[in-house]
Amino acid sequence: METKDQKKHRKKNSGPKAEKKKKRHLQDLQLGDEEDARKRNPKAFAVQSAVRMARSFHRTQDLKTKKHHIPVVDRTPLEPPPIVVVVMGPPKVGKSTLIQCLIRNFTRQKLTEIRGPVTIVSGKKRRLTIIECGCDINMMIDLAKVADLVLMLIDASFGFEMETFEFLNICQVHGFPKIMGVLTHLDSFKHNKQLKKTKKRLKHRFWTEVYPGAKLFYLSGMVHGEYQNQEIHNLGRFITVMKFRPLTWQTSHPYVLADRMEDLTNPEDIRTNIKCDRKVSLYGYLRGAHLKNKSQIHMPGVGDFAVSDISFLPDPCALPEQQKKRCLNEKEKLVYAPLSGVGGVLYDKDAVYVDLGGSHGFQDEVGPTHELVQSLISTISTIDAKMASSRVTLFSDSKPLGSEDIDNQGLLMPKEEKQMDLKTGRMRRKAIFGDEDESGDSDDEENDEISEDDELENGSSDEEAEEEENAEMTDQYMAGKGVKRWKLEELEEDSEMDLPAFADSDDDLERSSAEEGEAEEADESSEEEDCTAGEGGISGSKAVGEGSKAGLSPANRQSDRVNLEKSLLMKKAALPTSDSGHCTAEEAFASEDESEESSSLGAEEEDSENEEAVRKKLSKPSQVSSGQKLGPRNLIDETSDIEDLLKEEEDYKEENNDSKETSGALKWKEDFSRKAAEAFLRQQQAAPNLQKLIYGTVAEDNEEEDGDTQEELGGLFRVNQPDRECKHKADSLDCSRFLVEAPHDWDLEEVMNSIRDCFVTGKWEDDKDAAKVLAEDGKIYGVFSNLETNDVHQGGLDSDTNNELSEKEIKKEIIPNEEEESKKKKKKKKKRKLRNIFDQLFDEGEDKYFPDLKIEFQKQEQLNRAEFEDQDDEARVQYEGFRPGMYVRVEIENVPCEFVQNFDPHYPIILGGLGNSEGNVGYVQMRLKKHRWYKKILKSRDPIIFSVGWRRFQTIPLYYIEDHNGRQRLLKYTPQHMHCGAAFWGPITPQGTGFLAIQSVSGIMPDFRIAATGVVLDLDKSIKIVKKLKLTGFPYKIFKNTSFIKGMFNSALEVAKFEGAVIRTVSGIRGQIKKALRAPEGAFRASFEDKLLMSDIVFMRTWYPVSIPAFYNPVTSLLKAVGEKDTWSGMRTTGQLRLAHGVRLKANKDSLYKPILRQKKHFNSLHIPKALQKALPFKNKPKTQAKAGKVPKDRRRPAVIREPHERKILALLDALSTVHSQKMKKAKEQRHLHNKEHFRAKQKEEEEKLKRQKDLRKKLFRIQGQKERRNQKSSLKGAEGQLQ
Amino acid sequence: MATQANSLSYAGCNFLRQRLVLSTLSGRPVKIRKIRARDDNPGLRDFEASFIRLLDKITNGSRIEINQTGTTLYYQPGLLYGGSVEHDCSVLRGIGYYLESLLCLAPFMKHPLKIVLRGVTNDQVDPSVDVLKATALPLLKQFGIDGESFELKIVRRGMPPGGGGEVVFSCPVRKVLKPIQLTDPGKIKRIRGMAYSVRVSPQMANRIVDSARSILNKFIPDIYIYTDHMKGVNSGKSPGFGLSLVAETTSGTFLSAELASNPQGQGAAVLPEDLGRNCAWLLLEEIYRGGCVDSTNQSLALLLMTLGQQDVSKVLLGPLSPYTIEFLRHLKSFFQIMFKIETKPCGEELKGGDKVLMTCVGIGFSNLSKTLK
Repeated sequence: METKDQKKHRKKNSGPKAEKKKKRHLQDLQLGDEEDARKRNPKAFAVQSAVRMARSFHRTQDLKTKKHHIPVVDRTPLEPPPIVVVVMGPPKVGKSTLIQCLIRNFTRQKLTEIRGPVTIVSGKKRRLTIIECGCDINMMIDLAKVADLVLMLIDASFGFEMETFEFLNICQVHGFPKIMGVLTHLDSFKHNKQLKKTKKRLKHRFWTEVYPGAKLFYLSGMVHGEYQNQEIHNLGRFITVMKFRPLTWQTSHPYVLADRMEDLTNPEDIRTNIKCDRKVSLYGYLRGAHLKNKSQIHMPGVGDFAVSDISFLPDPCALPEQQKKRCLNEKEKLVYAPLSGVGGVLYDKDAVYVDLGGSHGFQDEVGPTHELVQSLISTISTIDAKMASSRVTLFSDSKPLGSEDIDNQGLLMPKEEKQMDLKTGRMRRKAIFGDEDESGDSDDEENDEISEDDELENGSSDEEAEEEENAEMTDQYMAGKGVKRWKLEELEEDSEMDLPAFADSDDDLERSSAEEGEAEEADESSEEEDCTAGEGGISGSKAVGEGSKAGLSPANRQSDRVNLEKSLLMKKAALPTSDSGHCTAEEAFASEDESEESSSLGAEEEDSENEEAVRKKLSKPSQVSSGQKLGPRNLIDETSDIEDLLKEEEDYKEENNDSKETSGALKWKEDFSRKAAEAFLRQQQAAPNLQKLIYGTVAEDNEEEDGDTQEELGGLFRVNQPDRECKHKADSLDCSRFLVEAPHDWDLEEVMNSIRDCFVTGKWEDDKDAAKVLAEDGKIYGVFSNLETNDVHQGGLDSDTNNELSEKEIKKEIIPNEEEESKKKKKKKKKRKLRNIFDQLFDEGEDKYFPDLKIEFQKQEQLNRAEFEDQDDEARVQYEGFRPGMYVRVEIENVPCEFVQNFDPHYPIILGGLGNSEGNVGYVQMRLKKHRWYKKILKSRDPIIFSVGWRRFQTIPLYYIEDHNGRQRLLKYTPQHMHCGAAFWGPITPQGTGFLAIQSVSGIMPDFRIAATGVVLDLDKSIKIVKKLKLTGFPYKIFKNTSFIKGMFNSALEVAKFEGAVIRTVSGIRGQIKKALRAPEGAFRASFEDKLLMSDIVFMRTWYPVSIPAFYNPVTSLLKAVGEKDTWSGMRTTGQLRLAHGVRLKANKDSLYKPILRQKKHFNSLHIPKALQKALPFKNKPKTQAKAGKVPKDRRRPAVIREPHERKILALLDALSTVHSQKMKKAKEQRHLHNKEHFRAKQKEEEEKLKRQKDLRKKLFRIQGQKERRNQKSSLKGAEGQLQ
Repeated sequence: MATQANSLSYAGCNFLRQRLVLSTLSGRPVKIRKIRARDDNPGLRDFEASFIRLLDKITNGSRIEINQTGTTLYYQPGLLYGGSVEHDCSVLRGIGYYLESLLCLAPFMKHPLKIVLRGVTNDQVDPSVDVLKATALPLLKQFGIDGESFELKIVRRGMPPGGGGEVVFSCPVRKVLKPIQLTDPGKIKRIRGMAYSVRVSPQMANRIVDSARSILNKFIPDIYIYTDHMKGVNSGKSPGFGLSLVAETTSGTFLSAELASNPQGQGAAVLPEDLGRNCAWLLLEEIYRGGCVDSTNQSLALLLMTLGQQDVSKVLLGPLSPYTIEFLRHLKSFFQIMFKIETKPCGEELKGGDKVLMTCVGIGFSNLSKTLK
C-alpha cells in the first residue's frame, strides 16, 4: 500500500549533473557540438612559454623516473625456505600464547612448551618458522637480522613500550622486514569509546614508525586462555598471503637459523678435558644466498668459524607434493621443532633419531612413518653401512640392466659426475666406467692395469702403451694383477649363480660392513692364495687365464671383453695424468675421444654394466688383499653417495621385507637397480675427464709434499728423492701462454680445411647463412598484392610465367572470398609485424634503457634457474653451493665448550655466512648519528658495542668530522643533532651496511638503549684522523718586523721541518718561520707583518694524527650460563671504572668555580672642554644651574612668630572663612536642587503640552478624514446615480 | 680473528702470480714454501721480487714476509688502493707478466689505477703488451669495465735484454661485474696485426708483414698488419723485432698470436720472413683451438666470471692451458668455486678442435675497497 505512495525516480532535467549527462550522451553519439578543447581551441594550448614547458616536461619526467626501482635479478629459489616469523613484544604481552594459537591454527596440534624455532607448513606453497623474541637486546638484534616478518605485540592496555621502539629501530638499521602490529589485552577496556580512542592513537603512532597504512591487528580478548579462533585464523591468513621484499643483506649472505644442535665431540676428549673445544653440528634451513663448503661463517654471540663440513638432508617439514587440491590434508600439516621436542623422526647424516615420546594424536596422524620407525629401530647396522653394502647386491643383479637401459642411454642427458665427497668435503678419486677417470691414482696402478691389458690383448693392444709402460712392468705388479684377474672371473661366475637367489644375497645387508669385509676376506683368502701360487710365472698365468676363459660360457667371454675395454680406457686415461698438473686439456680431449671410441667399440651398454657389477664384486676383496687398489673402493663410495637420496626409501623397505623374501621385494629391487643403472649411465655419459683432471688430482697435492717420504741415512742426512713431477710442477716457469706442442702442418690442404668455417668466408650455419636468410626473406617480402585488383605479384618470377599467373588469377577469383579475407588478414599481420620491427629499430625513444635493463635481468634470471635445473642436488651443490631452501647440516669444529654446556634453546642460533675478506679486520669508517632518543652524547675512545652485519662486538671508536678540505678532524664527543664520522678497528663489512651502537647489552637500562645508528662508508687498512695541535713560543729578541722566538721547538731539526710554516701572535699579527738559530736550542728567526711586543705569544696551528686502538671484542653472549645470557659485559668505560673504584678525577684548579667577588667600580666625572661646551647646542650643554635645592641658612627668611592678639585674629578669620565656605556650599546645593526641580516641572509641562497638541491633532485629523470620506461617498453616489 | 687459520699453503714458485692475486682478491693470506729450494740459486728471483713490490705499491696494509734465503714467502693481503703508481719492472720478464695480474686487480681498487710500467714490452716468454691491449681489454669490456679512462698505451718499446720500454695502463673502478654469456665465438671477419722493429732496419717489419700475409691470405682477405718502427728514445735499449696478430670475429672476440725475435746475443738470428710465417701459423693454431677467449686470457675471463654477481656466467673456451687448469684449482681453493666443464665436440663443422664450455655461478663479489660517498 505504502509502496505505491513512493515517488518514482525522476531524472534531472536541469542542473549541472543533467548537463554533464547530456554532454556525455551527445559525445557518445558523436554529435557533440563541442569537440575536444584542444582541437577546438588550439591556440589556448599552444606553447606560451618555453621555460614553463620545459619545467612541466621536467616534472613529468621526474615523476616517471621516481617510480622506477633499480631492477634486480630475482634469485629466490623455486622452493623457498620457510619464512621466519619473529614474534616480538615486551614481557607478559602474550607472545607464547600467540605462537601456540598460530601453531594450533595451522597444524591442529597443541604445543605446550615452545623452545626455539618452530617450523610449520602453513599452506600449499608456504612454510613458516615461528620464533619468539624476548627483551634481551642481543636476541632482538640477532632476530631482526634474520626476520622476514615481525609480529609486534603491543599491550593495548598499557601502550607502547621501549622494547617495541628499540626493535623497530634495530629493524630499520638492518634492512626493514615486514612488520605487523598486534594489539593484545583489548578486553581490559571497559568503555567502548575509550577502546576506540586507544586503538586509533596506537595505530597512528605505529604508522609513523613503520609506514602509513601498516597493518595493525587487534586481538580482542582471551577465551579459555587462548585468543579467539576467528581472529587467529584471520591473522594466519594474513601471514600466509603476505609478500616480501628482498633485503640487501639477507639476499647477499647465506644464513641458517639453527633449529637443532648436536654435540659431536669425542666423548673421550670430553672425559679427559671437560673444557675441550667441541665439534658441533647445527641443522636448519639455509636462507639467503648459496652457501659453500669450507666457507667462513659467524655465529652471533659465539664467534667466527669455518664450516668444516656441510651436507643437505631430506626436508623434515616438506611442502606437500601435489599442488592441485585446494587445501592441505591433515597429514601434510607438518610441524617441526626439534628443540621443543616435536618433529617425530630426525634424520642425521648417518643416523635416524626417533622421538617416541608422548603425543598420541601425532602418532595417529603419521601411521606409516611410525611403522617405518619401528622397522628402523629393529635394525642392527646403520643406514649408511647398509647403503654401502647394498651396492654389492645391487649390481650383482644383472638382469634388470637389460635392453631398456641401453635404450635409455641414448636419451639421457650427459651429466657431470661428482668427484667431491660432499659430506666430508674431501676430494675423492673415483674410478668410473672403464677406469677412464682414475687420473688421481698412483702410476703403479695404471701400469698395473695397462700391463694387464697388454696380456689380455696378446700383443694386439696399442703400441703407445707398450712403449710407455713396458719398462715398468715388474713381477710384483704381475702378481697383483693376476690376483685381480682370477677373482674377476670367479666373481663373474658367482654373480651368474646368484642371480636366481637374489634375496639370499640380501642377508649380507644385515651385517655390518666390517663383518662383511671379514667374511669376504675369509672366503676369498684361499682363492687368493691359490691364484698367487698359480700365477707365479707371468706368461704362464696369462695363458691360464686365456685358456680358462676360452673354455667358459659366453658370459665369461662377455666379461673378457669388458676387461679389454676397461683396460683400453684406463690406458688412455693414464696419458693425461702422467703429465701431473701440466697436462693440457688437449690431451684430455684426446683421451676422451679415445674413450668414446672404445666405448663405441664395445658398443653394448650391457657389457659395461656387467663390468661394473663385476668390478663392484671385486672391489672389496681386492682392497683386503692389496692396499694399492684403492680405486674400486672409492668407486663404491662414490656411487653410494650419489644414490643415497635416491634409495633411502628403498632401503627402509628393504629392511622390512628382507625376512619375508617375497616376490614384491624382488620387484622393487628390479626397479631399484634400474634406477641405479640409470644414474650410473648418466654419470658415465658425462664428459667427466676434464673435470676430474682439473679438480680431481689437485686434492692431495699439498699434503703429499708436506709429508716428505724421505729415508734417513745415518740419522743425519736424508736421501733426497726429488719427485720428478712435483719438481717439474712446482718450480717451472710461471707463464700464462699456452705453447703449441704439436703444431699442425698448415701447408696441408686438409689441415687448412679444418678451420675453414671459422672465417666469414667459410660455411655458415643454417640460421645465419646469408643466402638462406635472404631466401627466407624473399618468402616474407616476395609476395605483394594489389588490393584493388586482387592481383597477386610474386617476387622472383620471370615474365614468361606471367601467363601462368594470369591463369592463377582467374582461378583465384573463382575461389570464394573467404580465402581472400584470410589472406588479407595475414598480410595485415605481416605488415604490423614489419612495422613493429621498424618501430623498434628507429622509433624507440629515450625510454628504452630501463625496459632493456629489465629484460636483460629477466633473461639472466631464467638462465640462472635453467642452468642447473636438470641436475640432481649432489652435483648442483658442487657448482652453486648449497642453495637456499635446503635443510642443511653444518659441522663446525673448535666451538667453545660453553656453547654446548650453556646451551639455551630459547636463544636463536644463527649461522651467518661471510663473504670474501669479511672475516678480516681493518679500519672501518662510517657515518654515524647519535640517536635522538638517547639521552647522552657519545665520547671518543669510550668502548661501545656495535651491531654490524651479522656481528655484535665491542670496539673503541673515534668520532670525527670532515672539514671542507677533506681533513678528518677528531671530535671529542658526537654532535647532538648532526651526522659525524666514526672510525674503529674491527671486522671488514661491505660498504652501505647499516649498523647500530649500544652502550651495554647487560642488564636493564632505564632509557632508550640504542645509542647511535648509521652506515658503513669505507674500509681501509690505515686511517687519517687528526687533531689540532697548537705550538706556542715567545719572542726573546725583537727587531723591526723580525723576531727571534724560543720555546716552540726542542731542536733545530724540528725547526727545519717547519720552515716556511705560518705562525701568528695572539693579537693577530701573522708571520712565517724562517730559519733555526744555533742557540738556544729550538729557537728560530721569524718575520712578521708588524713589530711584535715582548708580551706577545706566538703560536702555530698544526695537525696531529691520532691512532685508533686495535680493540675488537665480539659479544659472546651465547657462551654465558643459562639465565645469565643477558649479562654480558665487556670493557668498561673510564667513567664506569672510576665510578666502580671510587676514583675521582683530579680537577684542574683553574676549572673550579669560586665565589665571584666584584669590586666596586669608580668612574671619573665627565669633563667636557670649554671650547666644546661652547660649540654644543643648548640642549646638550651641561647645565651649570644648580637645582633649587636647599636654601642656605643665610638666605632663608626668619620664621614669623605671632602675638596672641594676632593669633586670635587669625583664628577668628579662619573660623569666619570656614563658616562662609560652609554657607556657600549649602547654597550651592540648594541651588542645584532647585534647578533640578525646576527642570522637572518644565519637562512635565512640556509633556502635557505635547499631549494636548497630539489630542488636538488627532481630533483634527479625524474630522478631516470624515470629511474626506463623506466627500468620496458623495462623489461615488453621484456616479452611481448617474449610472442608474 | 681467524686470519691465520684460513691461510693457504703452497709449495714451489710456479703460479706465484695467481696465488698472490687470488689471495689479494679473496683476502686470504697465503704462504708459499720451497721456492726453488733445491735450486743452485734458491729463493725468489728478481722479477718475482719486483712483482711483490708492485703488489705492495698498489695495496694498503699488506704484510709480506720473506725468509732469509727467499725460499718462503708469507703474504697477508691488504686492501687494493690504486691511484697513480710508477713501477720499474724487472727486465728478466716482460711487462706482460706484471700487466696480466694488474688486469685482474685493477677493477677492484679504491681509487682508479693509473700506472706507468717500465721494462720489456715484448719478449718471447710473456704475452706482449700489444696482444694484451688487443685481447684483454675488449674482454674486460664485456664484463662492464669500460670508460674513457680505460686504456693501455705503449709509450716506448723495449726489447730484452735491455728493456727500456714504457707502458701506461689506466683502469676505472667497478663495484660489481656483469655476468657474461659468451657461447658463440662468431666467425673471423678480419685480421689485424702489428709488426714492430726497434733499433733494426725498418725494412724488417715490412718483410714480416709480407710473409705473414702470404699465409693468412688463403683464409681471409681482410688483413691489415701495421708496421711500427720506433726511433730514438722510444726504441728502448736493445734491438729486436716481432709480430703480433689478432683475429677479430663477428661477435667481438679476439684471438691472438705473437712472436718476437731472439734477444740480442742469445740464440741464432731469426729471419723476419720465418718469424712472420711462424707467427701466422701460430695464429692459425689459435684459431684451431678457438673459443670466445684466446688461450692467454682464459684465466682472466674465468676469474672475472667468478667475481661476478650470483648469476650464471658461461664462456666457451678452446682447450684449457696448463696455466688455466691450475688457475681453476686455485679458484676452487680460494673461492670454493667449481666450474661446470662441458666438452663440446666440434662435430662435422670445420671449426678446429674441441671446445670447452665453462659455466659457473659468481660468488657475489663486491669491491670492498671502493669508498661510499
